[in-house]
Amino acid sequence: MNLFRSSLLRRRSVLLLAILTPALLSACILDSNQSPFKTAGPVAEDQKNIFIFIFVIAVVVFVIVEAALLYSILKFRQKGTAARPPNQVHGNTRLEIGWSLAPIVFLVAIAVPTLIMIIDQDRGPLDGRVPDNPLVINAVGHQWWFEFEYPGEDVITANELHIPVDRAVDVRLLSDDVIHSFWIPQIAGKVDMIPGQGNSMWIQASETGTFLGQCAEFCGEAHANMRFRVAAHTAEDYQAWLDGMRRAPVTPEPGSDAAAGQLVFAQNCSTCHTNNSYKPAVARAERDTQIARQNGFKADPENARIISAPNLTHLALRTHFAAGIEELNADTLKQWIIDPDDIKKGNRMSKQAAIYNVPGSELSTAEVDQLVAYLLSLTPAAADAVVEVEGPGSGSGEPSAANGETLFATVGCSGCHSTGTNTLVGPGFSGLSDRAGSTVEGQSAEEYVRESIMKPNAFIVGGGTVSAMPSTFGAQLEDGEVDDLVAYLLSIE
Amino acid sequence: MAQEAVISKFPNPFPRPKGYSGIWSWITTVDHKRIGTMYGMTAFMFFLVGGIEALIMRLQLARADNDLVSPEVFNQLFTMHGTTMIFLVVMPLSAAFFNWMIPLLIGARDVAFPRLNAFSYWTFLAGGLLMNLGFAFNSAPNAGWFGYANLTEGAYSLGNNTDFWVIGLQVLGIASLAAAFNFLVTIINMRAPGMSFMKMPVFVWMALIVQILLVLAFPVITVALIELQFDRLYLTNFFNPDAGGEPVYWQHMFWLFGHPEVYILILPAMGIVSEVLPVFSRKPLFGYPFVVFAGASIAFMGFFVWSHHMFTTGLGPAATSAFALSTMAIAVPTGIKIFNWIGTVWGGQVRLNSAMLFSLAFVALFIVGGLSGVTHASPPTDAQQQDTYYIVAHFHYVLFGGSLFGLFSGVYYWWPKITGKYLSEKLGKVHFWLMFIGMNLTFFPMHWLGLDGMPRRIFTYSADSGWERTNEWVTVGAFIIALSIVVFIVNFFKTSRSGEVAGADPWDARTLEWSIPSPVPVYNFVNIPQVETLDDWWAKKYPETVAHEESHDSDTEQVAPAGAEDLQPLVPKVSPEERLGEDHGIHLPDGSYYPLIAGFGLAFFGGSLMSAWWLTLIAGLVMFYGTLGWIFEPVNDPEDHH
Amino acid sequence: MAQAAITTENHGVEHHEETSTGLGHRKLLMWSFLGSECMFFGSLIATYLVYRNQSKVGPWPEEIIDVPLTTVSTFVLLMSSLAMVLALNYTQRNRPNLARFWILMTAALGSGFLGFQAFEFTEFFHEGLTPRINLFGTTFFVLTGFHGAHVTLGVIWLLVMSGTITPKGMGAVSLLATLLAFYLGMVGVLGMVDVIPDIEGSPSVIIFIVGVASTVIAGVWHFSMKTTMSVKHQAENLEITGLYWHFVDIVWIVIFTVVYLVSAGDGPHLSEGLLNG
Repeated sequence: MNLFRSSLLRRRSVLLLAILTPALLSACILDSNQSPFKTAGPVAEDQKNIFIFIFVIAVVVFVIVEAALLYSILKFRQKGTAARPPNQVHGNTRLEIGWSLAPIVFLVAIAVPTLIMIIDQDRGPLDGRVPDNPLVINAVGHQWWFEFEYPGEDVITANELHIPVDRAVDVRLLSDDVIHSFWIPQIAGKVDMIPGQGNSMWIQASETGTFLGQCAEFCGEAHANMRFRVAAHTAEDYQAWLDGMRRAPVTPEPGSDAAAGQLVFAQNCSTCHTNNSYKPAVARAERDTQIARQNGFKADPENARIISAPNLTHLALRTHFAAGIEELNADTLKQWIIDPDDIKKGNRMSKQAAIYNVPGSELSTAEVDQLVAYLLSLTPAAADAVVEVEGPGSGSGEPSAANGETLFATVGCSGCHSTGTNTLVGPGFSGLSDRAGSTVEGQSAEEYVRESIMKPNAFIVGGGTVSAMPSTFGAQLEDGEVDDLVAYLLSIE
Repeated sequence: MAQEAVISKFPNPFPRPKGYSGIWSWITTVDHKRIGTMYGMTAFMFFLVGGIEALIMRLQLARADNDLVSPEVFNQLFTMHGTTMIFLVVMPLSAAFFNWMIPLLIGARDVAFPRLNAFSYWTFLAGGLLMNLGFAFNSAPNAGWFGYANLTEGAYSLGNNTDFWVIGLQVLGIASLAAAFNFLVTIINMRAPGMSFMKMPVFVWMALIVQILLVLAFPVITVALIELQFDRLYLTNFFNPDAGGEPVYWQHMFWLFGHPEVYILILPAMGIVSEVLPVFSRKPLFGYPFVVFAGASIAFMGFFVWSHHMFTTGLGPAATSAFALSTMAIAVPTGIKIFNWIGTVWGGQVRLNSAMLFSLAFVALFIVGGLSGVTHASPPTDAQQQDTYYIVAHFHYVLFGGSLFGLFSGVYYWWPKITGKYLSEKLGKVHFWLMFIGMNLTFFPMHWLGLDGMPRRIFTYSADSGWERTNEWVTVGAFIIALSIVVFIVNFFKTSRSGEVAGADPWDARTLEWSIPSPVPVYNFVNIPQVETLDDWWAKKYPETVAHEESHDSDTEQVAPAGAEDLQPLVPKVSPEERLGEDHGIHLPDGSYYPLIAGFGLAFFGGSLMSAWWLTLIAGLVMFYGTLGWIFEPVNDPEDHH
Repeated sequence: MAQAAITTENHGVEHHEETSTGLGHRKLLMWSFLGSECMFFGSLIATYLVYRNQSKVGPWPEEIIDVPLTTVSTFVLLMSSLAMVLALNYTQRNRPNLARFWILMTAALGSGFLGFQAFEFTEFFHEGLTPRINLFGTTFFVLTGFHGAHVTLGVIWLLVMSGTITPKGMGAVSLLATLLAFYLGMVGVLGMVDVIPDIEGSPSVIIFIVGVASTVIAGVWHFSMKTTMSVKHQAENLEITGLYWHFVDIVWIVIFTVVYLVSAGDGPHLSEGLLNG
């Protein structure tokens, strides 16, 4: 469908526009930093052109009809006091037929390209062609931030979408809570992210750069602050970013602020924020982990101390944070951690996180500084400096509780389970060994814990049919790893 | 009468009040004119409330990164602004005109069910108060006037905010439905002899179509609200995605109601304009049957376009295309109306007074709103414009520039009939021009904001967005509108004290209501008129022009009309003592307390569902008592009739 | 709805005047109300159809629906429509005793239907189908529950009519029949409440319903007995009652077809939800 990319028509339309609406030119009004008229991709380009086409028709109709109205008012304005009424004309059938048909001509002119474009844009982003090798990305809406998963790449991130330029991207739109709408005005119009309904849309960037996106469907208190950024790279840069996202971060120097911050993070933040999805297993489990966190929130929205939250893996690679509304640097990050509402009104963190709501859990100033240092250190280590992360529990025979402890943190268990007695989403595991053997008759402690990991629905403490726990761990973990994990869990005091 | 009447021994502590003065005569009134006046006054009060909400929002948005109000308060403001303006302002203002004018225009003494009419009003008032009561508990509705599930479900809408919205809307829905049944029966059954459907004034036609829309569209939202409330109260699964429920199904139901609702809001104004333009052009409405048919087909097609509110929800190309086409098709009957209005003015003797200015502005502004509607009838463009300020601009051109201008036109046009006095023309014109300029300054720049990527329903935007300057202008425009409303209020008070007295037919108008005195006596018509033609009053005043029109040829010599003063004696002179009608042997029903008790009891009952069970019990008993008393209340106190 | 037709019967002004259509105001009101009700039940039925086979867990219709039982209750309700026709016939022919008998018979058959519904709801509940267990439960109970509520209102209305149909009021037999019918009707309503015993604030619902029900029984019956009307008035009122009653029956035929006959075989094999895991 090249009608609207024909430069002749476009130039003429723009010319007409310029003549008819001087405001456009004089004020340069349509040049905001997320204007759909500063297009950076074929989808938005087509949408802009069909708008201009319809707009020009509308302006023509507007001028004709308003002129007729104005003329008839001025021409037939009563002068003086007219004693005799005017001719009592009741109508004219021929005229009626005429002005019933005239709009139809205009409407057909609008409808034909509209229908063609609906079908074209359903097929692919460029010229209605089905793209050969589209990149598939899962975009998930959360109150109030965006999550982006690159299936098959084991990469998952938040609030900054990275795409290669000039390649069709099939964005699968999902939501874990309420309806959001995914909109990158310069690249493509919006499509809603609806829980339980898989929508998708085509996007394609025609130039490199950073483009703003924003949630366009009212989704609750902080809707206005639910934004994101799209970074369009060359294919090489994109691949480099992907590779980086799969490398371990720089290890903080022992004794540094960052090293201390790592501990603060593990103790206070890691329940909701994943920061180690550079590990393929963690990246693959992340969606289930987020859903489990969200289920924990839904169970008791007023008091939940856990909720799905942005993935912070390699946070320091991002230019902005808090759903794209604040530049990322030490000052803003510190301000954010001290009082999130100061930066993003209506955010969930200040309502749910223990450090703001449970007396005695507050972070000290030193801890905040350490945390900031740690978070800003989260960048991929240089490619050659990376030692291949040893797959724990490589099946050497004896189960290793130490490996299990690592797995507990990396697979995602720690997102929902503490090693204390407190319940996050799932129960705390303190003293699990004392009770595991007697929970289900005829099952040893080892058997019970193993079954609970592999088949969460087999037995649910307190009844019910569906456990909030993802049933995907069986597939993710190797046998040896499960042994290690069981050994670790039963070793918790 | 006596042997037909129902005789009841119901213990009646509140005998039907008989007086026609004092506050209680208003509270217990069943007179359609007084109820119409109360509808109008109440709706205007809510208009001020909704307007103040809008002004606060505009102040917040005048600056980037502003923190005048919190996001929570902003969300409450835009939710209540939308809900208020639609359900508590435009609909009841239309109902005010329906109440006042339908019986007068069809030559009847009242509506078919006077007490049901009072019940509609009190239920509307109580429902409106209940809806706004949320502000007192700092939990006003905050999920948008569209209340999209599943944002309105338990986990995401804590507190009672959404309950106030759901229950308030249910109560208002009952009020609207009761009124709709009443007007429907009145129009179909109580037309003066000789007034066939095609001799009905266009305003009555539009009113009839609106009632049909109400009757058919409101049950859909009733069911949707029931389902939502059951989800919230009883944890059912209608819109719960975890159990397979589909949030989009709420949108389908909401807009299956919501789009006809748009025509419920605009058709009464179109009806008013179709009365005002002919009178102040001194010509009949051009193409009467076409205007009527266009109104009916707009209403009919209104049931088949709802998904154009949902182009971005992933309907698939087939459904999207179908709804794009049906939406574009609505432009045809809308165009027919606009062309016929211009045809009405054409060749007339146009008097540009306030009522006419508002009607002409209606046509001019509605063209803008209609055309911007066509632009986003195309789903690819709508993908960029949906949920931006472009849409806000579009529907304010049709609802503010359309409905409200039409309704204000009706206010200026029928004011002399209602009060017996003119509103000041000078202030009226100041009001008009301020409102016209303010309206365009407010809403026209919103088109650019939307095209420039500014989403709706955001409480703030960043300073580097480039939207700040335009938003400043919008805010200035909003305050100019506010100023114009102040002028109108001044006009109201000034003329109610010292207005120029208007005669029975000050505009040399065309329809039956101008054949009776101003202000209208309580019984309306001494004798029910015999109708022979469309614009019957005009035909009686100027029989020559009507005969002339039948001879078709337009350039035959015009016949001078009989002097208008000769016709004035048709109007009987009535002293205030006579106005109760007893001298004419006309019996009117006495007032009643029960519609008030039943109406407020209903809202009380709805509201009490949010509180303790014993309050619910008390409220239920109040409602039940009101209903029971109503059932067994005698027509008039029997002993007075013998 | 009971009040709408009765409340408006004495509006006064237009009482003696010819209407434009020749149709009485109240009858026209009932017709437009029924138009509205079409959309009301249409929306509820549409909801059921949209969510058919969308449940993610059981119990499934194939385990729950008992077509033979409901066929019997449907028959009972349809017979009540016949009784209604006879009642109106005798009223128009000014035979108050026979008219009263058939009105009460209509109410009794309607109450019988409600009894079946109460039994059915209780059975389903014990088989594990609740309004919150899955989408089938949600849509089934709300759709049939609202229909049951309409029948209940119809029964109350019929009882009021039976009180006004004769100048002397009702005898002891009629009173007993009244109370029996009410008892069954209220069991029907409470059957619904029984299904949701663990809702927060359920005492308020139950107490409210019982409280209002007893007041309805006492108040309406008492005053309807003391209210007299001309035969002409009664005939038109009963005709309006009949319009409502027949409408509610017709709606049930649709519900019976859609929810019972068509859906009786629905099970997990048809449910998308299960396939998605």
